[in-house]
Amino acid sequence: MSVAVEAKDLVKVFGSVRALDGLSFSIENGEIFGLIGLNGAGKTTALRITSTLLLPTSGTVKVFGRDVVEEASEVRSLISYLPEEAGAYKNLSGNEYLKFMASFRAKNKDAVRELVDVASEISGLGERLRDKVKGYSKGMKRRLLVARALMTKPKLAVLDEPTSGLDVLHSVHVRGIIKRYVKKQGVTVLLSSHNMLEVEYLCDRVALINKGRILATGSPAELKTRYKAVNLEDVFGEVVGFA
Amino acid sequence: MLKGLFNIVVKEVKELVRDPKILLPMIIIPLIMFPLMGFAIQTSMEAAEEGIGKISIAVMDLDGGPVAENLRINLTNWNVKIVEIDDPDLTEAFSYVQESNLTGLIVIPSGFSQNITEGKTSELEVYAPFRGGGITESTSSSAVSSLVSLFENNLIDQRINERFPESNSTTVLNPIALSEKSIINGKGVDVNPEVLFGLVISQSTIIPVGIMMLLIFAMQLAATAVASEKEEKTLETLLTLPINRFMILAGKLTGSIIVAVVGAIAYLIGFSYYTSSFTGAIPTDAGVDLAAIGLAPTFLSYLLMGLSLFMALLSALALAISLSVFAEDVRGAQALVGPLSILFVFPMIFTIFTDISALPFPLSVILLAIPFTHPMLAARVSFTGDYLTAIGGILYMTVFTVIVLYIAARLFGTEKILTAKLKFRRFSLRRKK
Repeated sequence: MSVAVEAKDLVKVFGSVRALDGLSFSIENGEIFGLIGLNGAGKTTALRITSTLLLPTSGTVKVFGRDVVEEASEVRSLISYLPEEAGAYKNLSGNEYLKFMASFRAKNKDAVRELVDVASEISGLGERLRDKVKGYSKGMKRRLLVARALMTKPKLAVLDEPTSGLDVLHSVHVRGIIKRYVKKQGVTVLLSSHNMLEVEYLCDRVALINKGRILATGSPAELKTRYKAVNLEDVFGEVVGFA
Repeated sequence: MLKGLFNIVVKEVKELVRDPKILLPMIIIPLIMFPLMGFAIQTSMEAAEEGIGKISIAVMDLDGGPVAENLRINLTNWNVKIVEIDDPDLTEAFSYVQESNLTGLIVIPSGFSQNITEGKTSELEVYAPFRGGGITESTSSSAVSSLVSLFENNLIDQRINERFPESNSTTVLNPIALSEKSIINGKGVDVNPEVLFGLVISQSTIIPVGIMMLLIFAMQLAATAVASEKEEKTLETLLTLPINRFMILAGKLTGSIIVAVVGAIAYLIGFSYYTSSFTGAIPTDAGVDLAAIGLAPTFLSYLLMGLSLFMALLSALALAISLSVFAEDVRGAQALVGPLSILFVFPMIFTIFTDISALPFPLSVILLAIPFTHPMLAARVSFTGDYLTAIGGILYMTVFTVIVLYIAARLFGTEKILTAKLKFRRFSLRRKK
């Protein structure tokens, strides 16, 4: 399998805060890879660097062989990023929002329509896509955004806390979308979460991150065996040391 | 690349125009508020005029002579309803006038006719009841004095015709027929200079006010366009799209310009309606053919005005966007951009009231250093013919715009757009301690 993402010795310093402290990981093509850690562990910073939003203080990240600093515009054409607290343009309808986003990837109007149809199917929002986004519930908005991130079949989808702030029903729906659609389309996923159960359900491999460093990497099953734990929460407790 | 720019522009315009916080104050309110104000003033004026048409005056004739009779006949001919007061008690008469809602009271004193006939000055008392103000009332009360003046003019004509039967009273009163003309660019022009100055002043007032409004609208919009992306958490997604970040910046600038122009037009339409409601019409040409007297804007002056305004808009927007990068939300961005209004108000006041070259040297340097002075100066180019100042201003603004756009592009092109913040809150908390 080819390497989709390779991060080496990533360091990111914000003033006096060292958000990433020599972070390294690699993701295989078609893999769903999860970064798990507490709030402030450095997950979002790692995802933002991979998505070309932040510059690393030192270290490198390559996405399908393209450097996120030197070849940022090429990387942007390969990825789709879903921020944790993402919003959509509230004065546009769901359809208009999807068309706007699709128009940057599609070559013509027919292609835009096809992508919007895909997004409509992924989101399951149906007729509500005609309504303005400001009338959407938090769950509907997140479903719209997940659909936006996946509709273009990106080579790499970077999803920061994909079910953040959602109730059980919407969380299940969003997880279902990611699991089914991503595997079907062969999209590589880098996601972050502090929901261990979610990560266990979704990810092929996970990396446990704390204070900007990776403490352990492996498939959920491997990690549970390695640390003789019942679930990833116990693994995390064992590794980070609060259990 | 251009397709991406077009997408951003369309999105920006939709977002801005559909936002009630922008649509209401910038487009709807000027189009409704000003015409409503104009309607209120127009209605009051019409009511005042109607009131003049229904004047009822109490007349206390203590004279009873032929001139007093003549005055009463004249008033009746002018459609004035006369109420005769026979009782010479003034206090009673005042109460009656106020209670009966009459326009005024004329007291013709004893000996009035005799004095006038003998060529002497005679006193005439006019009382106007005070009911608490208002344009209608002041117009009505001054109408009584005007009617008396009209009667006085008749008396003057009568006296002149009696003393100089071979002359026309108009010729006696106006021995000189003044014909006022102007000299424009070395040529005598058959236009009253007062009319010409009025025309120039009206244009040199409206244009700077219009430019100022346009620039203020545009800056607020551009600041909102970036800050709302932060506030609504859409900026990060936008920045990871496969489009050059300068195109995002250009799209935001263009969208803001389009909506600001619509807003400024709405403001000017509303303002023109408001002004025309009490002046009859904006004196755009005052009956003067500007082309015939060489003051009509030429293609070159239009070009220079357009270029100057465009550069001012670009630099204002780039300045607003650069500043809004440091704000976390729309309110913060508007607070940052708001004080910059001084850069428009200051040049506007000076260009309306004076010629910048007549100001003390340091002050004129300060004014010329403000880029937004130049479109206001360029607006006068068709009157002054000073194309060099306009061209110099455009060049200066171009340099300023390039520098500010470069800064804006740098801020957009790096992580600064996400990480730069001005911490007002921390500052205020510290102060509280």
